[in-house]
Amino acid sequence: MSKILLVEDDEIMPKIVARILPTSEYELDHVSNGKEAFEKLESTNYGYDLIITDIMMPYANGFEILSRVKSQPRPIPVIIVSNAGNEDMIMEGFKLGADDFLKKPIIPAELLIRVKRLLMKNK
Amino acid sequence: MIRTIFEGGVFIYGIVLLFMYALLAYMSFRGIIMFRKKNSFTNYDHLLDSPLTPGISVIAPAYNESVTIIMNVRSLLTLNYTRFEVIIVNDGSTDDTLEKLIREFELVPVDFAYNERIVTQPVRQLYKSTNTAYDKLLVVDKVNGKSKADAANAGINAASFDYFLNTDVDCIIEKDTLLRMIKPFMDEEHKKTKEIGEPCPQCGYVHVVEDSRQVIATGATLRIANSTEIDEGVIIRVRPPEKILPRFQEMEYIRAYVLGKMGWSVMNSVPNVSGGLGLFDKEVAIKAGGYDHSSFAEDMDIVTRMCAFMIDNKLKYAVRYIPTTQCWTEGPPNMKVFSRQRTRWGRGLAEIMTLHKKIIFNPRYKKLGLVVLPYNLFFEFLAPIIEFAGIIYYIYLAVTDQVNWPYALILLLFVYLFSVMITTLAICWDQLTYGYYKTWREVIALSLMAFFEPLIYHPLIVFFALRGYWFFLTGKKTSWGNMQRQGFGKKK
Amino acid sequence: MFDIPTPAFLDPVFSTFREAPLAIRLAMIFIIIAISITLLAYFSILRSRFRGHQRKKRLDYLLPKIDNLIIDEILANPEVAAGTPADRIQLNLDGFQELPLHKKWARQATTNRIIHFRRNVRGNAGQLLRSLYIQLELSKDTMKQMKSSKWARKVRALTEFIDMDIPVADVTILPLTNSRNRELRAAARHAYIKLSKNEPFKFFDVVTDPLLMWDQVELFRIITTTEDISIPNFARWITYSSNKSVVSFCLKLIVHYNQLPAVPAVIKLLDTKDHYLRADAINCLGKLRVPDVEDRLVSMFTSQPLQCQIEILKAIGRISSGRQVDFLKQEFLHSTNFDLRKAAAKSLVKNDWVASQVLQELLDTADRESLLILKHCMNPLIKY
Repeated sequence: MSKILLVEDDEIMPKIVARILPTSEYELDHVSNGKEAFEKLESTNYGYDLIITDIMMPYANGFEILSRVKSQPRPIPVIIVSNAGNEDMIMEGFKLGADDFLKKPIIPAELLIRVKRLLMKNK
Repeated sequence: MIRTIFEGGVFIYGIVLLFMYALLAYMSFRGIIMFRKKNSFTNYDHLLDSPLTPGISVIAPAYNESVTIIMNVRSLLTLNYTRFEVIIVNDGSTDDTLEKLIREFELVPVDFAYNERIVTQPVRQLYKSTNTAYDKLLVVDKVNGKSKADAANAGINAASFDYFLNTDVDCIIEKDTLLRMIKPFMDEEHKKTKEIGEPCPQCGYVHVVEDSRQVIATGATLRIANSTEIDEGVIIRVRPPEKILPRFQEMEYIRAYVLGKMGWSVMNSVPNVSGGLGLFDKEVAIKAGGYDHSSFAEDMDIVTRMCAFMIDNKLKYAVRYIPTTQCWTEGPPNMKVFSRQRTRWGRGLAEIMTLHKKIIFNPRYKKLGLVVLPYNLFFEFLAPIIEFAGIIYYIYLAVTDQVNWPYALILLLFVYLFSVMITTLAICWDQLTYGYYKTWREVIALSLMAFFEPLIYHPLIVFFALRGYWFFLTGKKTSWGNMQRQGFGKKK
Repeated sequence: MFDIPTPAFLDPVFSTFREAPLAIRLAMIFIIIAISITLLAYFSILRSRFRGHQRKKRLDYLLPKIDNLIIDEILANPEVAAGTPADRIQLNLDGFQELPLHKKWARQATTNRIIHFRRNVRGNAGQLLRSLYIQLELSKDTMKQMKSSKWARKVRALTEFIDMDIPVADVTILPLTNSRNRELRAAARHAYIKLSKNEPFKFFDVVTDPLLMWDQVELFRIITTTEDISIPNFARWITYSSNKSVVSFCLKLIVHYNQLPAVPAVIKLLDTKDHYLRADAINCLGKLRVPDVEDRLVSMFTSQPLQCQIEILKAIGRISSGRQVDFLKQEFLHSTNFDLRKAAAKSLVKNDWVASQVLQELLDTADRESLLILKHCMNPLIKY
C-alpha cells in the first residue's frame, strides 16, 4: 500500500485521479489548497510516499509545498500536475526538486506509469 | 433678477445632473450586458499556458503593516497568473514589517540594477528570496516619503514588466484579478499606431497610418471587506458590512464603480482608476511622470496626466473598467477615520481641479478636456458647494415665508426617489455581473440602505468634502494618516 | 380627463397636477417613473437570486450523478485501459438515460461537465468523452445555436465545437470569418484553423484587420495543441503578408517550431521600415540562435531606435557565440542608456563561457553603477 497525497483545487481532477490509481494498491488523500496540504503533512509527520500537486492554488502554491517537502530530512517524491505549463514554470518546478511534471490535460495511463516508476525508484 | 438667474441655474444644473445619472445607468447596463456576453465564451485560463502572456509587476507599498504583511504577501504570491512579480515597497516602516518579511520569505540583500526613472526618496536596499518558491517576490526598502505615491514610484522603477498593477497591501485581491484585468489590454493592443515611419517627402510630416487605440489603464470594482470572511488572505464568503457606516460605503462603492465607472468606460471617458487596484501601461505612466507624491488624489492625478500625455503625443487611448469585483478593501469603521478619509478625498479633488485647469474646457484635449474634467468639476467638485448653497437659500426662503410648500415637497420627493432608484439600479446591475452575497436577504438589506442614504450618509459626505475644500484653501497640513487596521488575519 | 374611476383620496393629487407649473408636473410624472423602476429593480434582483438558487439546487443534485456516470463509463472503462481506439468502443448509455436530458439545462450542464473533464484528461479517454458527447446528441443544441441570429450564441457554439473537436463544414464557418462583429470573426477563424480539413492556414492570406493579442493567444494555443495539423513553413507569410500582426504572429510560431528554413525570410525582414516589426524579427533570430546573423545585427546597431538596439543586445546574448564579447563590452562601458547597459551586461553574462575574464576585469574596474548592473545580472536570484 502506498500513501499518496493529492493537492488539487479543481473539483473533478481528484475524482479522476482516484479512479486512475487503483484503491487496492494506493491510499489516496485529497486536500484542495495549500493550507490544508500543510496541515495534512504536519499532522501525519510527512508520512506520504508520494505527493501529486497542482501549482496555482489558494493559500500556498505548489512550489511552496514542493520547497517545504524537499527540505525535509526524508524528501517525498513530488509530481506536479498543472494546466499552467509555460517553460519558465516547468524549469522552476524542476529547480525546486520536482520529480516529474505533467501538463493538463493528462493521459491517465501516463500518470499511472509515472506514479509507479517514482514509487519503485524510492523503495 | 439675481434670484431668477440663481434659480434657473440651479434648475438646469439639477436637470443635467439627473440626466447624467440616467445616462450612466443606461450606459453601464449596456457595458455589463456586453461583458456578460463576452464572459460566457472567454476562458481566461488560456493565458496560463501561453508563451505570449504579457508580464505584470504587482506593486504594493507597505507602511507599518507588521500585523498583516506576511499574510497579504502570501495572498499576492498565489494569484492565478504565470508571468508576474510581486514588488513590496517598504516605505520606511518604523515597526518590524521588513524584518518579518526577511524572516518569513528567506530574503537576502541583493545588488539590484535599480534605475531611478522617477525620482523618489532614496532606496536603501533591495531583497530577493533564496527560496525558489518565492522567486517572484522583490522587496524594496526605501526612506519614508510620507506618501503612497512616492513608494509606488519606487516600485515602478524596480519593475521589470511592461504592465504594473498598483495596489495596497491591505487590499485583498481576488485570485483571477490579473487574468481578468489584462484582458482589456489584449483586446485592443496591436491596434496601436505602429507606422511612425519617415517624414513624407511631399509635405514633410510624419503620417500616422494605422488609426487605432491603446489601452493605458484598467480598473475594476472595489468592495468593502469589513464583514466579508477572509482567512489568511483568501476570501471565504462575501457579506455586506454589518455596521451601518461601512454598509453605506459598500453601497456607495457599488454605485460609483458598477454604475459610474462602468458607464464612463463604455463612453471611453473614465476619469479615474482607483488607487486600491489599477493595472497600468508602465511606459506611459513613467513618461507621464509617475505618481505625484505631493498630491492628495494621486490616483486620479496620474490617470489625468497619462491621458494628457497620450493626447499631447497624438496617440489614441482608452481607459477601461471591468464590472466584476476584484478587490476588497477595509472601509473606515468609525466616524473619525471616515471623516479623515473623506476630507482627504475632498481636498484631493480640489487639488486636481486647480492642477489641471489648463486642460479643463481645452478643446485640444477632446473628451478629457470637454467631458471628463468638466463633469468632475461641476458634478463632483461643485456639487457639495451648490448643494450647500441651495440649502442655505431654501432656509432663507422658508424663514421669509416665500416657500410654496406643496411644490417644494413634490420636488424633494422627486429628488429623493430618483436617488433611491439610481442606487437600486446599481445594486441590480451588480447582481447581474455576479451573484455576490449568499442570500437574498443580504442583498435586500443592502438595497434598503438607499432609502436612508439621502438623509444620513449623504449630508456627511457633503460636509466632509466641504471641510476638505476648506483645508485646501487654507493649506492646512495633514499627513496621509495611516488608518488603524483591524486586520483580516483571523476568521471572524 | 379619463373615464377611469379614481379613488377619492387621489383627488388632491390630480388637482395639484392640473394646476401646477410644468416643472412640478414633470416632477410628479418622474416620481411615478422612479417608483416603478425601483420596484422593477427589486423584482429583478429577487428573480435573479431565486433563479440562481434554483439552478444551484438542480446542479448540486445533478452534477455528482453526471460525474459518477462519466467516471464509471469513461475513465473506468476497461477497454480504454486496454488501449482500444475510442471510436471502436461501444458505450453503454443506460445510466445517462436516467438523467433529465430532455431538459435543455441538463443537456447544457452535461456538455459543460464533459468539457471540464476534457480539460483534465486527454488521449484515449479524451476521445471517448468526445464520443459520449456525440452519442448523447448534445451537439444538436449547439448546431441550433449556430443558426441563431445572436452573435454571442454563435461564438459560444463555435467555442464548444473547438473544445469538443467537432468538425463543422467550411461553408458554415467561412462566411462568419468576415462577420462585422469582431468577436464572432475571431471565433470563426479559430474554429476554421482547428476544424477545417482543407488548408487551415488559408485565412492568414486574406485577413486584413489586425490580430489582437488575445486572438494571438487563442490561435497560438489552437495551432500548437491540435494534433493532426500540418505545420506549414511560416516564412511564406513573413515574406508576402501585408498584415503586420500576421507577420509578427508568424515570427512567434517560427520560434515555437524552431523553423530554421524560415531564417532567410526573417533576415530579409530586418530591412522593414516598421521598427516594432524589426524588433520582433531580431527577437526571433535571437531565439532561433542564428549565429551567422550576429555580424549583420552588430553592423546595423548604431542606426537603430532604442527598442531594436535592446533586442539586438539580447539576441547576441541568446546566440552566445562568444564572438561579440568586445562589442558587448563596448556597449556596456560607453552607452549612456541604462536599459542598454543592462541588456549588454546580461548578454555578457550569458556569454561567460568565453567572457569570464572580461567580466572579471569589468568587475575590478567598474564604477558604482556599472558594478551594480553587473552584479545584478550575475545574481542567479534575479531573473529579469
